[in-house]
Amino acid sequence: MHSLGCRLRRMNELSRAQIRDLMAQVLKNQDKELPADDAAQLREIGFRSLDFSELALRVEDETGEELNFDAPGLRRIATVGDVLDFLVELQHQ
Amino acid sequence: MTVATSRHPTPASPEPAGVDNRLVIGGAAVTWRSLPTPNLPDPAAVLARSAVHALTAARQHAVHGTELLLSTAGRVDAVLRTELLEAGFTVGVLEDDGVHPSAPARPRAAEPGRLWLLTSGSTGRPKRVGHTLDTLTTVRADQPERTWLCPYAPGTYAWWQVVTLSLTQPGQHLVVVEPDELDDWPTVAATHRVDAASGTPTFWRRTLYRDAAALARVPLRQITLGGEPVDQAILDQLREVFPTARISWIYASSEVGASIVVHDGRAGFPVDWLDRETPGRPTLSVRDDELVVTSPYHGAGLAGPIRTGDRVQVLDGRVLITGRRDSDEINVGGSKVSAGVVRGVLAGHPAVAWARVTGRRAPVLGRMVVAEVVLAAVGPSGADTGVPDEAALVRWCADRLPEHAVPRRIRVLTDIPVKETLKSDV
Repeated sequence: MHSLGCRLRRMNELSRAQIRDLMAQVLKNQDKELPADDAAQLREIGFRSLDFSELALRVEDETGEELNFDAPGLRRIATVGDVLDFLVELQHQ
Repeated sequence: MTVATSRHPTPASPEPAGVDNRLVIGGAAVTWRSLPTPNLPDPAAVLARSAVHALTAARQHAVHGTELLLSTAGRVDAVLRTELLEAGFTVGVLEDDGVHPSAPARPRAAEPGRLWLLTSGSTGRPKRVGHTLDTLTTVRADQPERTWLCPYAPGTYAWWQVVTLSLTQPGQHLVVVEPDELDDWPTVAATHRVDAASGTPTFWRRTLYRDAAALARVPLRQITLGGEPVDQAILDQLREVFPTARISWIYASSEVGASIVVHDGRAGFPVDWLDRETPGRPTLSVRDDELVVTSPYHGAGLAGPIRTGDRVQVLDGRVLITGRRDSDEINVGGSKVSAGVVRGVLAGHPAVAWARVTGRRAPVLGRMVVAEVVLAAVGPSGADTGVPDEAALVRWCADRLPEHAVPRRIRVLTDIPVKETLKSDV
């Protein structure tokens, strides 16, 4: 038995690295590159709200599950790391 | 209980002018005159078992003026059947041995000459719209002799358009295809020398997608499109296969009748047709991006300007009908996108045989534009177009549309979906 306090990843949940791959794909389709550094500013790499929405849809399509976009409160998403954290977290909502 | 079919009734009024036109049904050639004449209850809601039964009911109405609602069993569910019985109709399936009727719940006197149509129900429950043979007949000028394909489901507005043409004009013959023959219609049409055909854009796209070479063997001189938004790509593809045919698109519905007919091979109609009043002709207007029609061919009980529920957009001097208002507009983060315009761009890609564009729930923006496509590896002209991937289709759209209108997710389907109405709810 797993202890109840241990959080297990759900079966078709994507890892941070897998979401990073999808993010790279979104940018590659626009001939842009995703920097390795999570601290890279979205504004500088040209990753905008349309790209963010596309990435969320790609996560949904990969997992076959709808994300609950309304669940988390608004927050500042400025870096690559913010995007990845947000989407990892959104899968738990 | 059945009502016997009489082959030689005494006509109450003269036969219609087209009574000796040829009808090809299931490969066999007959004429309107040689069809059996069923004794229909009056008023009757007739569910035709097959094309021949539908045509016999139409001819019976033309001669006797029986109050008639004509449809197929598939379009009339139990709820609608009860509604029709409540409304005084005898409802019955018409077969070779006559009508098998259910008696009306509230019998009433018939309204001579009345024809009822069921709207296609794309906006909810099917609705009854009253017409007469006269209000359904929109082609009145003498036409060159033609053999028309009739691919439509019996009793729909489009079916009546082709049927009234053949009933009322000598020299307008019909080749009827049943639903199970539909995929192979070009073979049937080539055999019977069909030179005029009317269908939805989905119908034409499916035909080009399945076998453009078979289509090219049909000696078409008149091609008509209607029932769905008509984009430039499908007009161009048909022009490529039939360089000398007249290609027309028609805007018509049960409510407003045939209101727009365009023969210049271009999508949309000229903007200077708006608000032009000509006696006996429909007047077209736009209110809040919605097409409004005032027509002498309205259904019964409808008068004055009718809001059509269809969304329009003016582009380069043409008024484009982009789709239903409740589904065409997609709000992407406050920017309005017309699904029809995006669909037109996707359909313009040489390798896209069909496209559907919708809005999908997305974070930050609320909705995002997404699409489904069917790809054709070979274009209508036979040239290999290559098979594009999702990224290539996204780039194609990005080169032609504002950023928020570009579909970011494009799913590839293997066949063009189609319903009994020959539409695919694009």
